[in-house]
Formats: sequence, C-alpha cells, structure tokens
Amino acid sequence: MIEPLISLQFLSSDGAYRSGDVLHAEYQIDAVETDDVQAVELSILWFTEGKGDEDLAVHFFERRVSTDADDGDLRRLYRFKTELPNSPLTYSGEILKIRWCGRVRIFLRRGKELFFDQPFQLLPRQTNAEKQDDLA
Amino acid sequence: MAPRFRFLGKKRGKRRTGSRLVGSVGEAIFFGLLFLLGAVALTSLVTTQVINPTAAIYRPGLGFWLAVTVLSSFVFIGGAGVILTVLQVGVSAERRSAIVQRATDLDLIQDALPSQKDFPSIPREANLVNSPGVELAYRLPAIRSSAWKLTGMTLLALVATGFAAALVVISLESWFFGEFEWVLLAFAAPYIVCGIWTASYIVREIWWNSRIGPTCVEISDLPLRPGHEYAIFLSQGGRVSLAALKMMLVCEEESTYSQGTDIRTETKVVYEKPVFERESISIEPGVPLEMRESLLIPPNAMHSFQSGHNLLRWKLVVSGQPSTRPQFVRNFPVVVYPNVDGF
Repeated sequence: MIEPLISLQFLSSDGAYRSGDVLHAEYQIDAVETDDVQAVELSILWFTEGKGDEDLAVHFFERRVSTDADDGDLRRLYRFKTELPNSPLTYSGEILKIRWCGRVRIFLRRGKELFFDQPFQLLPRQTNAEKQDDLA
Repeated sequence: MAPRFRFLGKKRGKRRTGSRLVGSVGEAIFFGLLFLLGAVALTSLVTTQVINPTAAIYRPGLGFWLAVTVLSSFVFIGGAGVILTVLQVGVSAERRSAIVQRATDLDLIQDALPSQKDFPSIPREANLVNSPGVELAYRLPAIRSSAWKLTGMTLLALVATGFAAALVVISLESWFFGEFEWVLLAFAAPYIVCGIWTASYIVREIWWNSRIGPTCVEISDLPLRPGHEYAIFLSQGGRVSLAALKMMLVCEEESTYSQGTDIRTETKVVYEKPVFERESISIEPGVPLEMRESLLIPPNAMHSFQSGHNLLRWKLVVSGQPSTRPQFVRNFPVVVYPNVDGF
C-alpha cells in the first residue's frame, strides 16, 4: 500500500522568519482516497532538543474535519497564515536547541496517523535602526 | 577608640547601637537554649508520665496536658526562633522593610516588564524590578547558595539536639531508677556530636557573613536587550581584606532529564565574560567598596528562556577571594529579552 503524501510549504524563499512576521503557508495531501482522510491537524510549534527532556509548545493550531472542507475533501490545497511570536527564537546551544516547525498530522481510517514536519527559523525582529541601516 | 564589645546598647526608635553580630548570635543562643530546655523537659515529662509511669514521681493529673502544651510551645518557639535568626543573617532592616513594602506595590511594579503573552517562554521575574536602587534604577536581588545550606544545617542542628536531649533524658532516668540503659546513651553520642558540630558551623557562618557584609548590585535598566550597554553599580560592605573581587556576566543552559528512575539536571556555561576585576582590596566597616562599571550585552545574545525541562539563564556573578577563607560567590539573575521596538 502506498503511504499518503503530505506536503507543507512556507511561502518564504529561505525558510527564515523574523518575530512578528506573518507566516503564509499551504499544505496538500495526495496518494490517498478522499474518504480515507478523517481529519487534518495543522500546528505551528517549537520544541527543544538536546540533553534535557523535550519541551513543546504550539503557537498556532487548527483541526479540520470533512465538514469543514469544500465538498468534504480534506486533501485539497489549503492556505493559512499566522503572525509569529516574539519568542522563543531559534537557538542552537551546547545542551539546548530550540527548533520551530510546521506540522501537518492526518488521521486515517482504522486509527492510523501520519505526520509531516517542515522546519523553519524564527529570528529576532529587526529594530527600526537596523531597518534604516538596510535601507541605507 | 570605641570598645569592640559592649554589654549595654541604646535603642532609638527601631535603630539600636551595638554589634549586630553579637545580637544575632545572642538571639540564636537564646532560642537554641529555649528549644533545648523544651525538648529535655517534654521528653522527661512524657517518659515519666506516659511511657514508663512511676508512682514515686508527682503526677500532675489534668495539668499534664497543660505542661505538654507549654513545653511544646518552648520547642516550637525555640526552633522557629533559631531558624528565623539564621534566615535574617545579612539581611538589613531596610531590605526587610522593602520586602514588606513590595507586597503592597507588587501589581503596579510588575508592569515594568512586558507581559508573558508578549514574550512566551521568557521568565517574567517580577522580583527583578520591584526593588528600586539608590544609585541606579533597579537593585538586583541576590541568590546566595549558602543561605539554603545554612537553613539546612540549622534544621539538622535542631533535629540532632532534639534526639540527643530525648535519649539522654531517658537514659538518665533509667540510671536514676537503677536500670541504666547505656545503649541509649551510646545512641545519643552521635547526635550530641552532630548537634555540637552543626551549632559551631552555624555560629562560624553567622560570624563570617557579618564580616563579608552585603553585596548590592544596581543596574540602570531592565530587562536587558542584546547589543545594549547598561550602567552597573556595585557596593560591597563588611570588614574584610580581599585578594581579588570580580564580576562576570554569565549565560548558562540547564537541562533536566530522566535517567531510569532518576531525574538529573545538567548545567553548562555557554558564555562568560568579565565585567570588572580588582585586586588587593581592603574593606572597612561603614565604608563599603563602591564601583561603577558598564555592562555590554553581546549583540548576538540569546534571550532568557524557560520551559518545563530546559532553561537558559543570564546572571551577574560577583566573587571575592578573601585572604584566609574560601571564595564567596553571589549570583544576581537578570533577564535578557529579544530586541523588539515598542516594548
């Protein structure tokens, strides 16, 4: 049996955002029958990696079931946007790392689940002085 | 020249003349003796009236419970008095007053920091901004690891003294009635040694804390931002000669993880830079060492972070190396926020 394909794409060229930016993205599901997809969950979240136990927090969450979609088809291209928070920023330390990602999780018949992560970076917001320097 | 020790002091309002050290030690000894008296008397009362009732000894009847209540209050007041005395070592009357004042102003002062909603996962330390400084805007709270150690030792001293008193009283009673329980006395010996050792440790620590004196750090603004420069004011009181005194800006990561059934914590210093360093300093009583320096937060500094199992912490570490004693270290936590206009 072919595994369903999940694609999640950020509409930013380099996958890097600054805090306060609006993240525009879209996702789509393929290689699965319409009736097999019972629900789709979309999350924008950060999680920790490293020595310590993993911490995770969701910034944006949306769950869709077939009644939420046009003609009940959850596989179709779906666009969404969310404003990114001021913190925590992406970080790579020695025993602590903070990662951001978008996650699409699909729920299929017979309790089967699949998910796909698309990482991105959350960088500090440009101050007014930095913006003026860029313009100069 | 004023005498080093006076038997009598004066009281003007809430101020007193005389040595605070002698006052603290005297207070601790008074409450310690009260605790000891209560423990000994309560033990002898319970053993002679309940555990091993003796007809030859006066039986107080209904007054028994009154005696138990009074002697228990001796134990409670004595124990609490020792703990409170130890906790107040090195805490000035002004600081105690500020703590009381803080309780009333808490809600208004907290607004000096951005809200948790604006900056998720950044610890919102209200204690950082609720104490105004004398020279600069904010006085930073200190975290002294020795305070916890001292409190633990005080509790240990109270428990050891209580056990020792009970065992000695019971064995002396058995000796009085001709059946000497020497095993109980042998059991009491380690508790007696432990009680004496911890009590002498507490007195030494109180004495040493009073010699080093308080360390006060003030800062021109909070929260801190990467790439910004801040004024720092340090005041070190006491009566001590230091081979070196330095302040470091430190960033450390802390991770908590499960290993089998144990929970372990690992800390790693990821940034450390001296703010200042001085050598061969002599501090005289009443004339604290005062220094003004500038503090630069690195432009690429990561902001403070706190989640369930992970932590990224910034702090100022003041360490002094006395000529004859081990190094003392005092930590002053600060919070670094990311650069965002409008906050």
